Amino acid sequence: MSSSDGGGLMSSAGLVRYFDAEDNNAIRIDPRTIIAFGVLFGALVLVLNAFV
Amino acid sequence: MSWKDTAEPVLTRMPSVRRPEGHVPFKRKLAWTAGVLVLYFFLTNVFLFGLGGQGSDVFGRFRSVIAGSTGSVLQLGIGPIVTASIVLQLLGGADLLGLDTQNNPRDQVLYQGLQKFLVIVMCILTGLPMVFGGQFLPPSQALAQTLGIGLTGVQLLLFAQIFAGGILLLYMDEVISKWGVGSGIGLFIIAGVSQRLIGGLVAVPGLGQARGIIPTWFDIILGREQIPPLLTPEGIEALLIGVGQLIPILTTLAIFVIVVYAESVRVEIPLSNARVKGARGRFPVKLIYASVLPMILVRALQANIQFLGRILNAQLASMPGWLGSYSQGQPTGGLFYYLAPIQNPQDWMWFAGGGGGNAPWEIMLRVGVDLTFMVVGGAIFAIFWVETTDMGPDATAQQIHNSGMQIPGFRQNVRSIERVLEQYIPQVTVIGGALVGLLAVAANMLGTIGGVTGTGLLLTVSITYKLYEEIAEEQLMEMHPMMRQMFG
Repeated sequence: MSSSDGGGLMSSAGLVRYFDAEDNNAIRIDPRTIIAFGVLFGALVLVLNAFV
Repeated sequence: MSWKDTAEPVLTRMPSVRRPEGHVPFKRKLAWTAGVLVLYFFLTNVFLFGLGGQGSDVFGRFRSVIAGSTGSVLQLGIGPIVTASIVLQLLGGADLLGLDTQNNPRDQVLYQGLQKFLVIVMCILTGLPMVFGGQFLPPSQALAQTLGIGLTGVQLLLFAQIFAGGILLLYMDEVISKWGVGSGIGLFIIAGVSQRLIGGLVAVPGLGQARGIIPTWFDIILGREQIPPLLTPEGIEALLIGVGQLIPILTTLAIFVIVVYAESVRVEIPLSNARVKGARGRFPVKLIYASVLPMILVRALQANIQFLGRILNAQLASMPGWLGSYSQGQPTGGLFYYLAPIQNPQDWMWFAGGGGGNAPWEIMLRVGVDLTFMVVGGAIFAIFWVETTDMGPDATAQQIHNSGMQIPGFRQNVRSIERVLEQYIPQVTVIGGALVGLLAVAANMLGTIGGVTGTGLLLTVSITYKLYEEIAEEQLMEMHPMMRQMFG
């Protein structure tokens, strides 16, 4: 059975597409930074809501 | 000099999430996915700082497709991402971009950059009118006085928060796409719809929501819910579309069954390896070939039209009657009424006390417009989707050829594979797109559990199915490291 012939070709792209190619100039962000930013941002708004 | 050279310095510098080096174990992928999901739920519960009182939800009943939640920092939801995608699909479908995303790495980088750039533009374009036009996000008077920055200052604060939320969602999607399982946008849609489905099934009045179906049926059986005698027309109506909600239950189940079945309907094109005899395979052209994703685009287009209508209504002192008349934020007449999609049975069942007092011919016209919009729009966006995501006959033929396969009985070149695929892919795409549009409208007309809308349900079922396939493939690769080389 060669299952790689059929299913693998089918592109199951999401709404936003990401390719392997990347430019050397691009700014790269660590995924942890995104999560940390999200948590801190949420916490900041919560704190502002509570105290101001 | 083409637009590419002009835009290159900006587009190539768009910040992006780092790619993992080497293989990410499946457990780690699940952890990233779960982490982002928890963050998403957390952020939908963080309410905007500086909001004075409840505004009305701009997206109204489009919420289940747009994700996010009103009044929170995720007010924009995936709206900007979807709208940016519409622009990109239209440009790509009309071949105005001139980007070869299949072979040219530079074009791929440009495409990614353009995608992000458009999302940022859309965050601004949809965020500004939400804050400054209309009463969707009323600024807090008290805060303006405390801080001494005036109402405009508070509005700027609100805008900054929803803008940050919109951009954050884009990057959360990127984290999932690169480090997790599936796509972030798909996950956010399933999260919202599933929440509503569960709420629609089991919510008890104590939670401050509408009563779910299971508690309602307990009340009906125990006689606590007064329903008209069952053998009268009123009694049957109450059971089917009234409190009993039998038709919405059946519709929801039917959509599940139809989508899972349609996922397996396919035309299979036999393939054989050019060099290795006996190595055979099949290329499936699925009925829902372009998946249900183009449906979001059609719905988002409708959502944006309604958004425009409400802004015009809030800005113009007196809106001309032919354009639209509103009561309580809902269009009741004029152009925007006819362009508003049917979202639930109450929107059209004039014979059962629905329709909001509009004449039957007006309601029928609205149903007709919605149906045409979804069926034609579904087909058109499916075609564009196939073209821009490199799933069209030419791109697929090239992929098959590059993997060393050929169609037995045909010459071994790209053109002959393409000619065979051309007999199937365009037709299947159009039929699939139109069918999905029809299903979405039908489900909305009959109602769904928890009011999740037909599109929301279709998206959820097909995204979940895709996710299941992807997880199965991941596990296969975990168990057999050799497979990893084959899949790449």
